Amino acid sequence: MVEDEVLVRMVISDYLRGCGYKVIEAINADEALAVLQHLDVRVDIIFSDIEMPGAMDGFALATWVRRNRPDLEVILAGSVPRAANAAAELCDSGSLPKPYEPQIVVERIRRLMATRARKPSA
Amino acid sequence: MSGAGSDKGRAHSRAAAAAAPAPAHEQATILIVEDDVLVRAMAADQLREQGYSVVEAASADEALSVLHSNVGVALLMTDVRMPGSLDGAALARMVRAEYPAMKVVIASGDRPDAELADRFDGFFAKPYDVPRLVRHIRALLN
Repeated sequence: MVEDEVLVRMVISDYLRGCGYKVIEAINADEALAVLQHLDVRVDIIFSDIEMPGAMDGFALATWVRRNRPDLEVILAGSVPRAANAAAELCDSGSLPKPYEPQIVVERIRRLMATRARKPSA
Repeated sequence: MSGAGSDKGRAHSRAAAAAAPAPAHEQATILIVEDDVLVRAMAADQLREQGYSVVEAASADEALSVLHSNVGVALLMTDVRMPGSLDGAALARMVRAEYPAMKVVIASGDRPDAELADRFDGFFAKPYDVPRLVRHIRALLN
């Protein structure tokens, strides 16, 4: 799961874990590449945001993956609703029934971000 | 723990039971703050295997985002040296002041710092002795 907004990453990763997936979290393409190149674990799917800080955005990461790891499935989602729907589709092939509908994912993210916005920044 | 009569409750219980064989009281939430993705992923994985719900942050800024959104965190585990506006020691002090009930464990490659160890709920040197870390966290959260 490659996503630079921590609240989005947290909620979608938890949703996917709820469907039975193991999820490794990366905050940008650099971290994703570090996982793919060094971590001694099997990765099957890259689920990535599109706009991310760093040298590579989601499109560039997808290009790298298609060239260097063509065995991996790549899912790109550029907005929260798209990411929630893509996660729900993945849940349809998960080992557990989806814990809730993708609209709940969107609402949860919205609520968390609204709560955060009410706090004075650090 | 979950609503016995609701579909959502049953689905959540099913997911929780399948993913985490630990008893219900272990579903406390741990926030790990660590900028090295490999270290963070491995620590998070080990703690999830113990049945904890783990939120991952790559920086103090991300950790504060999580805390300020009112995610209920029982224990913060933070590295010291991290890029960003706050290092882990500053984050730990801020959390201690704003969330006094939250346990705070420092996990760091730095030399053990007696001041940090005393002010917080534990100091663990990297690379982690994972069984020892898990035992310590269990003791803090029980």
